[in-house]
Amino acid sequence: MRLEFCWFCSSKIYPGHGIQFVRNDAKIFRFCRSKCHKNFKMKRNPRKVKWTKAYRRLHGKDMTKDSTFELERKRNRPERYDRNVMENTLKAIKKIDKIRHDRAADHIAQRWKPKAAKERREARKELEQSISLIKAPLAIQSQEPAITVPKIKVKAPKQQTVEDQLMEE
Amino acid sequence: MAASFASKFSRGVGRSLFGGLGNNISSAAANLSAELTSSSNSLFQQHRTFIQMRTVLKVADNSGAKKVMCIQALKGRKGARLGDTIVASVKEAMPNGKVKKGKVVYGVVVRAAMQKGRCDGSEVKFDDNAVVLVDKQGQPIGTRVFGPVPHELRRKKHVKILTLAEHIA
Repeated sequence: MRLEFCWFCSSKIYPGHGIQFVRNDAKIFRFCRSKCHKNFKMKRNPRKVKWTKAYRRLHGKDMTKDSTFELERKRNRPERYDRNVMENTLKAIKKIDKIRHDRAADHIAQRWKPKAAKERREARKELEQSISLIKAPLAIQSQEPAITVPKIKVKAPKQQTVEDQLMEE
Repeated sequence: MAASFASKFSRGVGRSLFGGLGNNISSAAANLSAELTSSSNSLFQQHRTFIQMRTVLKVADNSGAKKVMCIQALKGRKGARLGDTIVASVKEAMPNGKVKKGKVVYGVVVRAAMQKGRCDGSEVKFDDNAVVLVDKQGQPIGTRVFGPVPHELRRKKHVKILTLAEHIA
């Protein structure tokens, strides 16, 4: 049994799923579902379609460069079966999987970081420009000038970030 | 301002990922565009159906025939599918081949554009309709088989075709 990857969206294809198209030069295109097959028939480029892994990797949405990807790799030399190695590998898979998930989440958190600063900056600017809507300009003038731009800590939308992370995954 | 910042960020990440990848992900991504362009001319969108009377098929061996027209499917009410045997009439042939134009021959469908279910439940389809000419006993007339053939031929007892084939899909 072997888990193949969809040519279009790079998702796993479990046995018995999907369709495969064999071109006359014997190149096999496997598709996980009719959605991917149809997109292929429409000659769409997976690197330009936003929901595919190829797009997300290309545009820095997903983590691409990581040592955890080294585990799952096509190797040209077949490995001889060794019980101990197999046992250790099975143990390692779980551990490495967890590390990869954590790093992927971290990657997305890093990606989202500039947004918080940006929102804070925009909020401050808005306050600066339209404080007159809530306070009369004369009232501000009469008081000390510091009150025009009070230092307000705008809370970064941390809750939202976490939710979005889950969605990304 | 914010938009420019975001785009700059993503572009930077994209570039670094493009240069620094040595694993299969990047090579697969690089192949994608090449595959798309080369596959585009061989794919037409059309309704794919059974191989029935008057279907013209390519001949994928060196028996001398180039194109044959199906005159009878030996199995199936609606027509022949991948792996089935048909009776065909030679429509085009090489001048000095074993098989002459106008002869009635038997052939095994080795490639069919209509998808066929595999034993595990997935499906397979090919670029074109092609046939390998056989005699009444099921032995191939030619000595070579061109292009990919499906492994299902083994279940149909056409092992000789499989051994001659270049690629087995």
